[in-house]
Amino acid sequence: MSAARHGDVLIVEDDPDLLSLVAMILRDAGYDVAAAEDGLQALARIEERMPGVILLDMRMPVMNGWEFAREYRARFARAAPIVVVTAAEDARARAQEIGADAWLEKPFDLDDVVRTVARFLGPSEAATTT
Amino acid sequence: MTPLRIVLGYVAVAMVWILVTDRLVELLALSPSSRGTAHAIKAAIYVVGTAALLYLLVRSQHVEQRVRDEALRTVLDSMPDAVLVVDRDSRVVDVNRAAVELLGARDREELLLPIRELVQRIHLRHADGRRLDLGRAAVRRVVAGQRVTGYEALIRRFDARELFISISSSPVRPHPTLPTRLAVAVVRDISEVRLFEEMREDFLATAAHEFKTPLAVVKAYAQLMHKRGQGDATALEVIARQIDRMTRMVQQLLDVSRFRVGGAELSRERFDLPGLVAEVAGVVRPDADGRRIFIAPAPPTAVLADRERIGQVVASLLENAVRFSPRGGDVEAEITRRDTEAVVSVRDHGLGIPHERQARVFERFYRAHAGTDQDYGGLGIGLDVSREIVARHGGRIWFESAPGEGSTFSFSLPLAPEEA
Repeated sequence: MSAARHGDVLIVEDDPDLLSLVAMILRDAGYDVAAAEDGLQALARIEERMPGVILLDMRMPVMNGWEFAREYRARFARAAPIVVVTAAEDARARAQEIGADAWLEKPFDLDDVVRTVARFLGPSEAATTT
Repeated sequence: MTPLRIVLGYVAVAMVWILVTDRLVELLALSPSSRGTAHAIKAAIYVVGTAALLYLLVRSQHVEQRVRDEALRTVLDSMPDAVLVVDRDSRVVDVNRAAVELLGARDREELLLPIRELVQRIHLRHADGRRLDLGRAAVRRVVAGQRVTGYEALIRRFDARELFISISSSPVRPHPTLPTRLAVAVVRDISEVRLFEEMREDFLATAAHEFKTPLAVVKAYAQLMHKRGQGDATALEVIARQIDRMTRMVQQLLDVSRFRVGGAELSRERFDLPGLVAEVAGVVRPDADGRRIFIAPAPPTAVLADRERIGQVVASLLENAVRFSPRGGDVEAEITRRDTEAVVSVRDHGLGIPHERQARVFERFYRAHAGTDQDYGGLGIGLDVSREIVARHGGRIWFESAPGEGSTFSFSLPLAPEEA
């Protein structure tokens, strides 16, 4: 496992349209973005590089958000914060369920996505230099 | 044979007996002493004869009664629904076979308990699993001899299986020949119906949930285009607004299933009710199509409630007021205090609700104007959910409506402790 790089966002989302959009927004905001389509892929990405924050969808094929969270906490001691991104009617409850650090409720405001990531990573380099 | 005929027949036979035997004694021309003996024998035969007759009569009555009782018992035991008879001392005094089977008891006698004990024995709970307050529950109404229809509850059978039941009960009319019975209750196993309902709610929840991701994508792209100055700004604004509207409808669908299946948790916080009404009115105004929404000035009124949920109730009432005022007209909201309650009222000058439809307004999926020439849409769940939310806060919701003149919908909430 290589050293964690501050400023990385890992997006775990099975809807490709939403995934590419959120990735684009965050890249525009100046963050480094990695993507995974399910929990299993996400674990593989984290093995390669520990992100600064994880945006996690809950309902996904292969390995869903709950399973991912359990596995993630069991495997990695120094873990990055998790932001639950869910369509569930009670996003806060979902977040509490898996011990996440924050939550975004679908459909969300784009500004909220950037704001939430910034809460954990601070304003991106691009945002501070431009 | 009518009782009169039996009696007349008896009189005739007895008279003939007396006359014939008297005549016989005379004809035999017995000595006075033996004549006395003959009369004594005659009387003895008479008594024995009538006694035998009486015996036959009583026995046949008895048999008839028993046959009737057995017939009634057979009918009762053949009923598919469980029947329990409760007496004035709140004891279960009779049950049918279906009741024994439904509750998983060994025999009838096991169920003949004071109703309180039986209720504890079967862990009678609200349909959503909450504990039943016996002092306030439907059981009390059953015991009080009131009519109860289709009260749904959860029980644990004697063999520990969980069951959804529906209880209906009515008082037994007093009858001179019956011991004092208070009420008869019919209990039905509705587990399968519940299961089906739960599947439907689950489907509703899944469908609503699935809608949210595409909504999120469309909303986000519209925002992105807006940000980058691409596309028609007005069009993008309309898209954003309609997405928000659709999101609210999806949220309503989710609420229906959530409240129904087992109770969403309410978060309680202290907030100012007039402030919330003003805030919600601000959200509804852009969709009000030129109708004005007025809020009567009110002093700060604090309640301890789920702010988001109460906001949802206020939004439902305001949206309905707008929707059912097709010819425009102002909508007026008012926040008042009554004793220990805060009351929010929303008044419109719209269509009003036809008298014959008023009773069903709070029913789920019921739309008072559906099927008429004036159908203004809506899902028919806003008021159902609102009622549920208000009830969970210990408040009430009600309305007054005059067809053609408009409606006023109100709900009450307990004031925050230090305010009351």
